[in-house]
Amino acid sequence: MADQSILSYLLIALKPANFLSCFAGAVIGTLIGVLPGLGPAAAMALVIPLTLKLGPTAGLIMLAGIYYGSMYGGSTTSILINVPGEPASVVTTLDGYAMARKGRAGAALAIAAIGSFAAGTFSVIALQFFAPLLARAALAFGPAEYFALTMLGVILLSNLAGTSRSRSLIMMISGLILSTVGMDPIGGLERFSFGIPTAQGGISFIAITTGFFGIAEVFAVLSAREKPQEILPVRLRELYPDRDEIKRSLKPIARGSVLGFLIGLLPGPAATMAAFSSYGLERWLSRNPETFGKGAIEGVAGPEAANNAACGGAMIPLLSLGLPFTPATAVLLGGMLLHSVTPGPFLLRDRPDVFWGVIGSFYLGNAMLLILNLPLVGIFARLVRVPARYLMPVILVLCTIGTYGDNGAFFDVWVMLGAGIIGFVMRKYGYSPAPLVVGLVLGPVMERSFRQTLIISVGNLASLWESAICKAVWAVALIAIILPLLIRLFRKKTDVSSTD
Amino acid sequence: MTTKPRKEIAVSVVLIVFSLLFLAYSTRYPLDTWENPGPAVFPLILGAMLLIMATWQLVGALRAAKRAEHKEPETAGPKSLRGYFQDNREEAKVIYLCMMLAGYILAMRRVGFFVSTFLLVILASRLVEAKSWGRPITLSAGVCLGCYLLFELWLKLSLSRGILF
Repeated sequence: MADQSILSYLLIALKPANFLSCFAGAVIGTLIGVLPGLGPAAAMALVIPLTLKLGPTAGLIMLAGIYYGSMYGGSTTSILINVPGEPASVVTTLDGYAMARKGRAGAALAIAAIGSFAAGTFSVIALQFFAPLLARAALAFGPAEYFALTMLGVILLSNLAGTSRSRSLIMMISGLILSTVGMDPIGGLERFSFGIPTAQGGISFIAITTGFFGIAEVFAVLSAREKPQEILPVRLRELYPDRDEIKRSLKPIARGSVLGFLIGLLPGPAATMAAFSSYGLERWLSRNPETFGKGAIEGVAGPEAANNAACGGAMIPLLSLGLPFTPATAVLLGGMLLHSVTPGPFLLRDRPDVFWGVIGSFYLGNAMLLILNLPLVGIFARLVRVPARYLMPVILVLCTIGTYGDNGAFFDVWVMLGAGIIGFVMRKYGYSPAPLVVGLVLGPVMERSFRQTLIISVGNLASLWESAICKAVWAVALIAIILPLLIRLFRKKTDVSSTD
Repeated sequence: MTTKPRKEIAVSVVLIVFSLLFLAYSTRYPLDTWENPGPAVFPLILGAMLLIMATWQLVGALRAAKRAEHKEPETAGPKSLRGYFQDNREEAKVIYLCMMLAGYILAMRRVGFFVSTFLLVILASRLVEAKSWGRPITLSAGVCLGCYLLFELWLKLSLSRGILF
């Protein structure tokens, strides 16, 4: 494809409808990031019915805007009130809030916004180059390679999500089991639908997502004892970091951008992992590690850059392979399928307008978010004061409309309520819903590729690992299984020797 | 027995029962052959994996429970349901909200989306510690109007209509 045509496709994002969708997505994403409660996955699921009216390009631009906008918004409450709006912003509370207490809230917010912008832009540039390359390489992928990749996703995600590996695996398998409801992907036989017409098409992805992330969150807020939050004031003249703060932030932003992008390629809670890894790296590299946790600007710049760069990284497996490895990209995949857009190696060939339009909107959205976040930070922070008694009923209604609007079926609303109750109970018992949602999306791909491999190879099981790509993927999966066991064994041995 | 292993045991037992039922139900579908695997193959593999994981977890939880019993003998007996909810008012609120939502879904069919939503928002606001009636009613009216303008007029989404509106 000539550069000229890529540029013209990138400019699709500037069309009025796409521009407005990008703006709306960025604003909604920032609000979602600011408000503790709904995460980007649930917010995107709620907005999907609305985006169906906008068409595929504008609709997907809005969904993508919510995804990366939430990363921007999450830092605001972390810095001002010590409450992260998003799990990816948890680490920002350590130094961001400490800076705010020292009267440097404005500088912390500005560095967070600038770092997010720089990292977001870097990750889009990398996405623009790597996604088409991977998509071309993915044309060589057959069902066996896809099966190996989905298995790798399951193994890595069970390592990375939550506190317990067995619990994550259980949730992932539960998601895969839920994905078997409806038509069998090869023969079209109806399974586990118990004669319910709506279930014949499969369990509604929106119902499950809004239930596990939206309704369960409302229950969690309701069951928690609230305490009044103090918001630290931000004056406009404080918004600008001084020369020393800028100088100290440059390298952490650059390192966070690269690290975040690479972690974004991996299955799992990429943004959260990227932020924590970047914080650890900055602390390790620092000449004054004792200042971390007491208001070190490096502890804000690095993680905030990393969590935004991870969003771009996570888009690569989605756009080029059609495999979502995070709940948010899983919802984005759901949105794409509802818009009759199939992500994967053929997306670039079949729908270049959507592919490049979404990438172009990333540039635009990042610039919008920088402009929005700096002057409006005080307004966004005040939103946290909106009492739960007003916010929660509104979330309940939005979840219901989003779920009902998908198919116009009450069955889906019951599924949403059931998922909310199960999600709340599971969360109380230490089970994270994220692997379940990813399992639900990966399930049909995994089953189809598994059965197709066996059909093509006439029942030869070895064909699941015979090709070079498969061998490489299985090797990584094996390392992912063995490495944590070895680390645990090593830790046990060192513990025993230290007690001796 | 302490609460943590007890919770773990309860979850594991539920998962084991579920996986056994799922496995039993999966056998209704054709297995076919390895050359052409049928629709039952994948569910059977998943059901078996869940059964193994849940059993492993149950064994671990039972061991942990045994260790905990040796360390700290049980001091208090089981509480009555009423006593539990008196001590955990927030948990009780979740149950009330679940019942409210179930009623809301049922009412949506009979009296329509707008009337049932109007009532849900008021009741849910009151449940989440709104002390007056005025603000929840205003909020509820605003939510209904907003939903009507956004979803019905602009997006042309056909929300459920009942006998009232």
